[in-house]
Order: sequence, then structure tokens, then C-alpha cells
Amino acid sequence: MPNLEPIRPSFHLEVLSSSQLEAIRTATLDVLKTIGICFPSERALAVFAEHGADVDFQNQIVKLPSDLVTQAMEQAPRSYTLGARHEDADLFLDGEASYLATDGCGVETLDFDTRERRPSRKDDVAKMARVADFLTSVSFYWPMVSAQDYGRTAPLHELDASFNSTLKHVQTETVMGRKPAEYAVRMGEVLADSREAMRERPPFSVLICTIAPLAQDKEGIEAGMVYAEAGIPVGFMAMPNMGSTAPATPGGALVIGNAEVVSAMVLMQLVAPGAPVFHSILASVMDPHTAEYIVSIPQKYLCNAAAVQLAHDWGVPTLAGAFGMDAKEPGTYKQGRDNAYTSLLVPLAGADLITGSGLLEASTLLVPEQIILDDEVYHTNRVLLEGIDTAAKSLALDVIFDVGPKGHFLAQDHTRRHLRDIWIPELTHPRPAGVGPSDGGMHQRAQAKLTRILADHQPEALPGAAREELQAILVAAAEELA
Amino acid sequence: MSEEIYNELAQTVVVGEPEQAEKLAQQCLEQGLDPLDCINSGLTKGIRRVGELFASGEYFLPDLIIGAEAMKTALGVLEPALTEGGQGREVLGHAVLGTVEGDLHDIGKTLVGTMLTANGFDVTDIGTDVSAADFVQAAQEANANLIGASALLTTTMSEQQKIIETFKEAGLRDQVKIMIGGAPVTKSWAEKVGADGFAKDAISAVALAKRLVGAP
Repeated sequence: MPNLEPIRPSFHLEVLSSSQLEAIRTATLDVLKTIGICFPSERALAVFAEHGADVDFQNQIVKLPSDLVTQAMEQAPRSYTLGARHEDADLFLDGEASYLATDGCGVETLDFDTRERRPSRKDDVAKMARVADFLTSVSFYWPMVSAQDYGRTAPLHELDASFNSTLKHVQTETVMGRKPAEYAVRMGEVLADSREAMRERPPFSVLICTIAPLAQDKEGIEAGMVYAEAGIPVGFMAMPNMGSTAPATPGGALVIGNAEVVSAMVLMQLVAPGAPVFHSILASVMDPHTAEYIVSIPQKYLCNAAAVQLAHDWGVPTLAGAFGMDAKEPGTYKQGRDNAYTSLLVPLAGADLITGSGLLEASTLLVPEQIILDDEVYHTNRVLLEGIDTAAKSLALDVIFDVGPKGHFLAQDHTRRHLRDIWIPELTHPRPAGVGPSDGGMHQRAQAKLTRILADHQPEALPGAAREELQAILVAAAEELA
Repeated sequence: MSEEIYNELAQTVVVGEPEQAEKLAQQCLEQGLDPLDCINSGLTKGIRRVGELFASGEYFLPDLIIGAEAMKTALGVLEPALTEGGQGREVLGHAVLGTVEGDLHDIGKTLVGTMLTANGFDVTDIGTDVSAADFVQAAQEANANLIGASALLTTTMSEQQKIIETFKEAGLRDQVKIMIGGAPVTKSWAEKVGADGFAKDAISAVALAKRLVGAP
């Protein structure tokens, strides 16, 4: 049975005041109404036109009256379930917990054995799914790298490797296009047993990227409609880059991102009223000289936390960004600093879903042991956000009375019991019989722990019939999509 | 007198004032100045200065882009006059840049174009979502010796290979150097598809382009 330890914050941070939220909402509605969003999909344009939006078919621009936006968004559920292969690993998005995913979708892997950089492949997706299945920090699995050994059907093979290797919920961010989405839905039905059961506990969900500024991806949006109709939760992620694809101000980036995400969520509600959707903005800053993304920067951290508030302002769950920073190697000061900031701020802001641990170089490189290092940062935050218990038992007056001045608490039964409740980070404070060389560094211990998980942890296999059905779907997909 | 207006022209590029650059270029022609001198002593001097300021870290990308924009606007006035007089501007090479079919990412390719312009290349930007056939056609029309194909998605990277194949099929592969770039593109991918080079950002793209055309 998979073991999950979501973060349940006892206190929160609000980056935006209610008047600031209102200002962003007003600006967003203004953008949607007067500038519009590019939807390069005939089907999407037709749906919008049918519902009274102002559609320019020639230029594929949709302008949305504010009433249409708010009425559509009112249909989107605030709470719903992301199903897992094992019911105990279902995730209920009710605003009480923050669930972390792995990061994705990298294109290179630092090989598990040779430690050489190479193109990623399906087996990497499966191996890391087993690791994610083991780690309590990971509540749901993003295929971490691209199954590049499977060409055009790589995204479906990433799903297959994930379904086969973890009991946890899976979220894809690569299966795009109407046809591939239909195959993915069929794969979901195999996992869930039926389409009805899949609506109740969808075994996978989807994240679709918008295109900044103010545009949608044809393949993404057409896949989104297929998923929404099938009851598969669909999220949209805007990635405004301050300076290049967005104004060089956090406020402007949030308005642009919000408009992109909301317009897509509105479409989902028009196609399938009540469809589970989620909101996501992952901002960054353009390096003023190289134009590369700078993801480890305060403006980004602020936007990530503010985006959580924007999502909740629209009455939908959010997927917030953490980890996956631009460091080039694991275990560095930079990596630790960046991951700590991002991964603390978003649960503090009340993020429902968080992505994701385990990748480096701005989410393009899989260094297998990074997920173990991130696991420790995650648990630090989890404990931190539990806050302080001030119940009588915790204030421990009777014990303090017993010990009195100048004594010690080592021999107290209270100490014996409660010291066990304190989570001790094992990479920085190795236990006597812990993993890896106690005299080595935390990086070595992380590698040793990874090796042990890969050797020991084998999640319950999918039933043979389900495995065969998935295989048959992949074969059919390969024939049709080739 | 002409020296003064050349300096002013250079300054519009350094400061980044496209409208002013266009106006000055027109004034130059009205005064009967040689368009080639206007380019070499004015615009080129200006864009070199922009390049220096960028290299030293003082200028940011928007400064560079708006500076190049000013140069382009002025060239729009001066180049037709140059052609009429049977002259040509001296360039390091003729580059055709585009983003591959199915891919709408514009910025990386545009930055490479700006950097190449600032470093003395003649650049034809054919936009985004460009088919392999259109790359070949644009290369022929521009008499290009350098092609840049950008892909930002793992799903569109394969188009880079298709472009290279299409140049081969058209019998033009030997006449152009093809460089590729984009976030998912790696050196090993460039080698695999038979590109002449790969650059990870716009700055290294300039060095690569110069190397490919044999420029100093």
C-alpha cells in the first residue's frame, strides 16, 4: 500500500491582499474582453461562438464577455478526487492538503549506472515511478522524462510505464492532440475498469501548457476538450516569462498568465459543464543577456505563491511550482537554497497540488538521486507547516515541574515518547544503521538510498489482463499515429 | 557636415529610436549622400556600439533588439537606393531563420536574428510554423548560405531533421550550413540529424554562425 504524507499547513501566507486580488481579476477580465486569446482550433472557436463569445475566425481570436467567464467558472468544482490505483492513495483536493508530484518532463538522464548524460527513455520513467511510489513526499507521479525510445507515441508509453510502476495517481503533461488523448482516455478506462468509475476516481489527470502571451496550443486545447468530456481533470499552466513573453513586472505576468489559464478553463466548462479543472501559473524572469529562464529569483517565488490565491479566487484548485530549479548539479548550495524557497512558499500559500521534485537544469535533466534530496527538503517543510501544538500535553508543565531548575529531561518518559515524534532529517543526520556511509556526504547517502529503493521496492503489479489491454492500446496507437 | 549626420544616424541605433532613424535616413538621401556611406559610417557603427555595450553587460536584450529595430527601419529606406545604384551592403553572410512547422515559439529565433544582424549578417526571418519546403524556398529566394531552424518542443524537434532532408532532396544541402537550436535541442541531437551545428543561446549562435560561414 502506498504511503503518502501530504503537507497539511496549520498557518498560511497571503501574498496578495483582497484589493490586489480584485485588481488582478479586473485586469484579467479586461484582457479577456478587449484583447482576447488566440485559440487555434476550429472546434474551440465554434464552441465559443455558440456560447456568445466574440469570435474572429480569421485570426482565431476569442474575446470573452465577463459574464460568460464568471458564469462558466462558477460551474467548475472547487473540490474533487484524483484517483489512484490503490484507494488509500486517492488525493482529495479540498484545500486542506498540499500534494507534491515529481517533476517532468525531462529529456536527458544522468544514467543510473554509467553516470553519463544520455537521451531519456521509457525505462527511466518506470524506474523513477517505483522510487516515487516508495517516497512519502510524492503524492502523485508525473512521468519524469520523455520515453524517447518510442517516437511519436512516447507520451502514451510514459503513461504506460507510470501505470505499471506506481499505485499513486499519475498526471501527464505530454499526451496532447485529439487522437493521442483518446488513446490516453482508453488507457485510463483500463485502470478504472469503466468510464463511469473513471469519472469518480480518475486514475490520471492532465496538465496542458498555454502559450504566452495570450495564446493556446492547438494540440493541447483539442486534447483538453477530449479529457474534459471524459471526466479526466485538466489543468492549464501559463508560463509567463517576465521580459520576453510577459511584461517585466510580476503584476503584468500574473495578468497574462491568469487570462490564458482562465480562458482555457472556460472552454472546458462550455464543452463539459462541471468538468474538474485546475489553474497553474509558473512565472520566470528572462535573463537580460542570454534570454534564458531565470527560475531562482524572488519575483518568481512571489508569483508562484500569488498564483495559488488567484486559483482559489476563481474557485478552482491550483497546481503550484516548486523544485525543478536551474542548478546544474545536485547537492549544491544553489540547489538547496532555490528548492527550499519554492517548496516552502507554495504550501504556505495553500497550494493543492505542487510540482515537482527530482529534476535539474530547469526541469530538463534527470539526476536520479535528486528526488531523495528533494524528499528531505519536502519533509522539512511538512513538519514546519504543521506548526506548534500548544495543548497541555505539549506545554508539558508537569514534566517541567518534575525536573525543576538545573535538572535534565533525558530520563523523562514524556521525553522518551515525544522525541520519537520529532522528524530527524536522515541525510544530514544519519542514523547509526542508516543508509549509506555515515562518514560520507549527504549526496552519497542520497545515492545509497536511491539504490536501495530500486533494489527493494516493487509496487504491486497491474493485473495481467490490464497490462495486455494497455499493450494493445499502445500497438493500435502506434499504427494510427505513426 | 555629412560626418555629423552619420554620427546622428549611429546614435539613433545606439539609443534605439526607430522613427528617428527612418527620418534621418530619408534626410541623408534628400541631401544626396551615398547610401552605402550612410550604412557603413552611420548604422553599422551604431550597431557595433550596441554590440559592445551588450557584450560589456551594460545593455540588456531589449536595448539590443530596439537598436537593431532602428537599424532595420533605416535600412528599409537606404537599401532600395543602394540597389538602384547597383551597390550592395557588405555582410558576413545571408541567413534565413525560422521556427519549424507545428511550433509557434518565436522569441529564441528572433533573438538569434537580432544578434546575427548586430554582428554583420543579412537576416531573413521567415517566422514561425514554417514547413521544410518553405525553408528551402526562402533559402533560394534569399540566396542564403546559412539556415537556422528553431524548435522548442520535443514533439517538433523531428522537423529539424525533415528540413535537413528536404535540403538534400532539393540538391541544395552543399550550398547552405544548417544550424539548429531550441530548448530541447542538444549537441547529440544535432549530430544525429546531421546539422552543421547547435547553439544553446543567441550569443553562442553568433560564434557558431561566424564559424560556419568562415568569418573571422
